[in-house]
Amino acid sequence: MGLLEMFRARVSLAPPGEDDLFDDDFQRRLEYLSVASRRLFAGRLRAERKTRRSGSGIEFADHREYHPGDDFRYLDWNVYGRSERLLVKLFEEEEDLAIYVLLDCSGSMGHGGPEKFRHARRLAAALAYVGLSNLDRVALLAWSSRVTRRMPPARGKGRIFKIFEFLRGAETDGETALADAARTFAAENKRRGVAIVVSDLYDPAGFERGINAIRYQRFEPMVVHVTDPREADPGARGDILLVDVESGESREVTLTSAMVARYREAHARWRDEIDGFCKSRQVPYVTAEVTGPFEDQVLNLFRRVGLVR
Amino acid sequence: MEFLGLAQSQLLTLLAAFGAGVVVLYILKLRRRRVPVPFARLWARVLVERPTTTLFARLKRWLSLLLQLLLLALLVGALGDPRLRGASRPGRSVVLLLDGSASMKATDVPGGRARIARDIARRIVRELGPNDRLLLAQMDAEVTALSPMTDDAGALEQSLAGYEPRDTGADFAHALRFAQDALRGMDHREIIVVGDGAYDPPQDALGAVRLEGTALRFEALGRRGRNVGITAFAVRRYPLDKSRYEVMLEVRSWSDRREVLDLTLLADGAPVEVTRLQLDPGATVQRVLPDQSGANEALEARLARADGSHDDLPADDRAYATLPERRRARILAVGEGNRYLEAALLLDEYLDVQEASLAEAPQRLRSERFDVVIFDGATLPVPSGVGALYLRPEGEASPREPEPAFAFAPRGGALGFSQVQQRHPMMRWTRDLEGAHIGRIRRYHPRPEDQVLGSSEAGPLVIAGERSGGRFVLLSFDVRESDLPLLVSWPVLVINAMDWFTGEDANYLSSFRTGEVWRIPVPAGVEHATLTPANGGPALTLPVVEGRAVVRGTRAGLFRLRAGPDTTLLAGNLSDPSESQCAPRPTLTVDGVRATRPTPGRAGVRRELWGYLVLLALGILFLEWITWHRRVTV
Repeated sequence: MGLLEMFRARVSLAPPGEDDLFDDDFQRRLEYLSVASRRLFAGRLRAERKTRRSGSGIEFADHREYHPGDDFRYLDWNVYGRSERLLVKLFEEEEDLAIYVLLDCSGSMGHGGPEKFRHARRLAAALAYVGLSNLDRVALLAWSSRVTRRMPPARGKGRIFKIFEFLRGAETDGETALADAARTFAAENKRRGVAIVVSDLYDPAGFERGINAIRYQRFEPMVVHVTDPREADPGARGDILLVDVESGESREVTLTSAMVARYREAHARWRDEIDGFCKSRQVPYVTAEVTGPFEDQVLNLFRRVGLVR
Repeated sequence: MEFLGLAQSQLLTLLAAFGAGVVVLYILKLRRRRVPVPFARLWARVLVERPTTTLFARLKRWLSLLLQLLLLALLVGALGDPRLRGASRPGRSVVLLLDGSASMKATDVPGGRARIARDIARRIVRELGPNDRLLLAQMDAEVTALSPMTDDAGALEQSLAGYEPRDTGADFAHALRFAQDALRGMDHREIIVVGDGAYDPPQDALGAVRLEGTALRFEALGRRGRNVGITAFAVRRYPLDKSRYEVMLEVRSWSDRREVLDLTLLADGAPVEVTRLQLDPGATVQRVLPDQSGANEALEARLARADGSHDDLPADDRAYATLPERRRARILAVGEGNRYLEAALLLDEYLDVQEASLAEAPQRLRSERFDVVIFDGATLPVPSGVGALYLRPEGEASPREPEPAFAFAPRGGALGFSQVQQRHPMMRWTRDLEGAHIGRIRRYHPRPEDQVLGSSEAGPLVIAGERSGGRFVLLSFDVRESDLPLLVSWPVLVINAMDWFTGEDANYLSSFRTGEVWRIPVPAGVEHATLTPANGGPALTLPVVEGRAVVRGTRAGLFRLRAGPDTTLLAGNLSDPSESQCAPRPTLTVDGVRATRPTPGRAGVRRELWGYLVLLALGILFLEWITWHRRVTV
């Protein structure tokens, strides 16, 4: 019996209808995954990532110049004897990774029904669980125009239920302002790591500013773009009043099929622009359609783009 | 084009009201449907290229308005039920008179005439035109509307179940007047008569019936009239022997061949005499069967062919009669003895005559109940409700005060009955009274309410009237001073008086004629009576008017009338030769116009346009739906 099964056997935290964020079979499959990182970050605990620093590692990795203050114990006296240079031995040490899941909770995430936000929450939970399974530190942040809720970094699979509770408590409201939220996030989290942005990217100020803000603070951003194909066609025709669900901005239009087709093209172009931006910045980018199979997205799609190995 | 549904003014009002509503709704600013989108800025990229209200969009709205108005006009027009003027057909107003007289019970056609008449009426109803209206009525001694004036063929056919011939004649004039009244003020009036046509000329107290432009149609039915019937049947008790009676009947043949018949007389249901009759075609036989006995209350005559076959009309093969009730009346004769009077009273065995002197009479009048008191000379007060016969009364108790002096017969002559009211029950069968000779009389002065039944030049001889709630008869002479006792009229006069006092009416009817109004005397104080067929059947409650239960007899047979504590047996007979002569007549002429055969209603092609208008509206709706669904007009 897995950990989740044991826990569920004792306590049912989920309200009716909410306990299927992850089923048991899905969680067992996630346990074999871990988050891949393009870079190695220094961690405070030993983990499954390698970092090069002078420390208690076993496997020798490299040398570097001695600087005042370095521990004398790591001086390579053999090299000093041969070349009279003070070099410090560096060992590869397994360290944990800081993973920050930034969940978009703006009003647009709740548009068109509960599927979109639900999908986003399940993605966030899956990412978090993968991180916890690999002994990484996982923190969650809910944001819209600012960071609205926070879950401090947690480590170990046993913390997944805290994450579930956090995600269940998330609600959609407010406008999207990723840049502001990113600045707040960077200021509050000194430890660098992977910042996975789960969002529909409907940011009036441009999501690019938010991604750049993360990058500039030396976090490694990843973008999970939650999309709903129904948003490419509002379904209505004729004389209508288009209302932005976040800002309330409205506009009278006489909507025709041709106009909808043009909008669909504009929507596709916008997604291409996002993809192009991420590629140019080497930011991993993946789209997750709410109508697509969730398990495949998590297991296959993430692996394809290198989010998991 | 004309409108048979809503009036043009109503249609215009509807069109104006709803049209104004539609136009106002189009003039008002369109309340747009709110469509939330997650990211309006993305829409801005598209919308900036296209204004929201283009000329084409406005045109589409005007096109939509025109379609709506066209739809409205089509629907309102359909409500008006428009017809092409040339295609509309005027509706007829028809009164269908179904002959319900006794002759319709004839069986000369398979199933009987009534069933054929019902079938013909059903066919006429089904052939009514779309605008025709018809009133169904049964015509017999009276006219009974079986349905209202309606174009509902189903209701008319259903009302045909109420048609049933009766044992009466047909009052054709009354039926025609009824039809004329029902059709008054209507266009294209028609009267259709379905029957055998054997009706009297339509004439009544108002004169001959005029058609006044009403078309008359006639559907004749019946094949022949080979019938023999009892046209009269009566019975009466002998006045002087009420246990016996004589029967009079008349049998008539309308057959075209010699008929051999058995006439059976039944007394209280038991056959008492069978007579074989032979009637030539058109012959009438009258039979008086004297000195009959055995029946207490009812007699029935049955006529049947000797070979066991039936004639065409069984309704007149039976006749019924009832006998008056026999009751012993108690008579008190007060006086010193009058043999002429006593001899006359002895003739009626149903009189219980007792004698009393003037001295003992008061005591007996107080202690005993008598129906009649006879005063020979002297008088006494009479109890209330008791009849009294006064023979030249004297004294204070005399009903009418006499003059002191007598009036004598002229020398060498005699007083006699110069005037006699033969129609009064007292004076029936007393024709030889005029040969009576009277020596002297005493003059009495009758009151205005009295009736002088017989009088001489010298004064009244017989006075009848009422006093103290009872009847009295006063003879102003002493029979012993006349030769009246030598005449047959004397005992008849006495017996008539006793019958008049005791209620035994010489006008007693042994049977009533169907089709007439029966007025049957009932006891005082009774407000309604119940008439029940003697052989079973539903009872009929009759009103009582002026002491008589009133009903129009429509059925032949024996009936029991219950009125208060009394029950009376009644007999009703068809006794109508015009009905017994049931041979059909192929033609019918009224007001000099010979009736033609009914014509079916001109159904034709129903040139109703409302259906096409609705179809067109549906087509436009379909077109509108397609254009909306394919986003052409949105």
